[in-house]
Amino acid sequence: MAVTRFQFLSTFSRQFSSISNAHIVQPKLRIEEIRGKRISIFDKEYKRQQSLIPRLEKIEVAYEGFDNETTTLVMNKGVSTPYNCAQHISEHVMKNSVVAEVNGEIWDLHRPIPSDCTLKLLSMKPEDQHQASLVNKTFWRSCSYLLGAVVEGSFQDDISVTLHSFPPANVRSGSFVYDVQLSLDDWVPSLNDFRQIAATFQKFVRQNHTFQRLDIDSSVALKMFEDNVFKADQIPHIATKSSSGNTVTVYRCGDHIDISRGPMIASTSLVGRCSIAAVHRLDSRIYRFQGVALPSEIYINHFAFGILETRARKLNPARTPELKSN
Amino acid sequence: MSTLQSLNGSPFLLGFLFNHEQVRNMSRVKRRNTHPGYWLPLKNVQKKDDKISADNLRFVREVIQDKYKNKSPLKGSELQIEKTEWDPKTKRSGVIARNIGRQQMWDKAGNKIVCTVLHVLDNHVIRYIPPEEYVKTSRGAIHFKNKTPLGCLVVGAEATNPEKFTRQYCNLFSEVGLLPKKTLSRFIITPNAALPPCTPITAGHFLVGQAVDVYGKTIDHGFQGVVKRWGFKGGPASHGATKFHRRGGTIGTGRDKARVWPGTKMPGHMGSERRYNRGLMIMRINMKYNVIYVKGTVPGATNSMVRIFDTLLPLRKLKEAPPHPTYFPPEEGTQKEEDIWDSSLHVYGSPSISV
Repeated sequence: MAVTRFQFLSTFSRQFSSISNAHIVQPKLRIEEIRGKRISIFDKEYKRQQSLIPRLEKIEVAYEGFDNETTTLVMNKGVSTPYNCAQHISEHVMKNSVVAEVNGEIWDLHRPIPSDCTLKLLSMKPEDQHQASLVNKTFWRSCSYLLGAVVEGSFQDDISVTLHSFPPANVRSGSFVYDVQLSLDDWVPSLNDFRQIAATFQKFVRQNHTFQRLDIDSSVALKMFEDNVFKADQIPHIATKSSSGNTVTVYRCGDHIDISRGPMIASTSLVGRCSIAAVHRLDSRIYRFQGVALPSEIYINHFAFGILETRARKLNPARTPELKSN
Repeated sequence: MSTLQSLNGSPFLLGFLFNHEQVRNMSRVKRRNTHPGYWLPLKNVQKKDDKISADNLRFVREVIQDKYKNKSPLKGSELQIEKTEWDPKTKRSGVIARNIGRQQMWDKAGNKIVCTVLHVLDNHVIRYIPPEEYVKTSRGAIHFKNKTPLGCLVVGAEATNPEKFTRQYCNLFSEVGLLPKKTLSRFIITPNAALPPCTPITAGHFLVGQAVDVYGKTIDHGFQGVVKRWGFKGGPASHGATKFHRRGGTIGTGRDKARVWPGTKMPGHMGSERRYNRGLMIMRINMKYNVIYVKGTVPGATNSMVRIFDTLLPLRKLKEAPPHPTYFPPEEGTQKEEDIWDSSLHVYGSPSISV
């Protein structure tokens, strides 16, 4: 019910605007306005959390590097990130680290370390099989996130785009996924459309944005995502599942902010070749965008990548979003 | 004599007016370039593949085999080829072959005939460009300036693993469903000799006893001196000659123009140029291995690629219809002959000549 009323309202307002001859760029500006609003809330919350730290305390981080050599680094508590530790080690480690392992737990590279710990920095080609699968999942999760970020800004001004969510990363399915609601009834994208979205994706990725993580209260999150019906619905559920019962993890990459549970890669410079394989229509107006990507460190020939793309075209069997209102 | 020479090939009439002995003009023309045209798609892969596991490599190979297995064209019954008539003015397609070396044959009188063995690789037609379209291309416009335009057949030889080439190069063949070829060539043909894409062209395309022109790149001799390159005599080997055994000697008169003429013969890069050897007779064709024995020698070193097509020499041109537009093996599956010899040759294994 809420959805239909909201949709009715948006069309109503659009009709009004066309009558008053201000029919250009209305929804597009809205996306930029929304993003600006979200970023201001994010920045405010970030500053507030930083100011909570009364004084800088020191912690000892035991970095386990190449050949199991351990180095002790003295870092700031609650402020220093594994990326800062990498900066103390070498440029190669700094540029190639994807995600960190803090006390055995997978950790974002730009997330502050709260206490004394052992640190491992994982690159795209780790030796350990288990570590490799974790890094792989992180990469796919980040690619899903980026797909959402790119799709939001890809459509024409008169089409409303509402991001729904993305399912957990599953490498075996062959593609990373984002479910989006578009105000298009029967859209069959052409080859050119795929290339265009992929080009926008590449452009965004080449700007080398870092993934900034923030744990916020569910009320702040609701304020941030009040214009997105689906996210507003999801936030209470996500908050109850968290450790404190009330927090929601939010990531910022460039101008885009989205909700995600798991760790993300350090920066978009780690993403290399990508291609949007397919767009499947799920239900009413929900479309499933599917893509496949490779890290920038790994290069395979075009034929092998073509095989990956063919596999990614099949409909991803991940859970479909349920629209409660319908 | 010299005026005739200079008139023959020269764009400069100066040679005719001044009556110089040396034909300077051909040595001035840009004879070779080492890079492909900027308009052609990049062919070879620039980056090296990351280490893929053995399992994955095997899987990719299986995918390639599966993808191209069904596309191998059948004997020609599937392809729709219009039955056109051959006439003496028809220009047929040519063939890309590899020069595998030289062999000798003997004729029935006992004379030795040196033949070059040319192996016709797996040639397939990639596409046909009709005359109206070909004239609009830059190459076609040059070729057919002030002449009636003809069509162009693009033929490829030697199928290879698509992983070795770039995606843009492989796309040239993917429209036709063929494995990418290592060598591509254009043959100018009359529209009645057009062939559909995916048609295989074999050694049977030619007739034994026919004359062909073979076009290839000559042996690269590198930087060579004036004696080998231009055939100068050099100087005496002894009789007190100091440091003048293989040198050029004088390079100008000193009076006329008081400078070295452009195009003066000097040491430099020799070889690796495109040349035609015309009117070579085909002595023997082996249908099973797709091999042609051609009388004489062919430009280029062993294992280099050459293009073969019906001769343009007026006295040796084809008078009877050859397999037109190309040779198609008989549908029963049994070929008439595996090895076709010219009638004047002595076939190996047959009773020897007794004098």
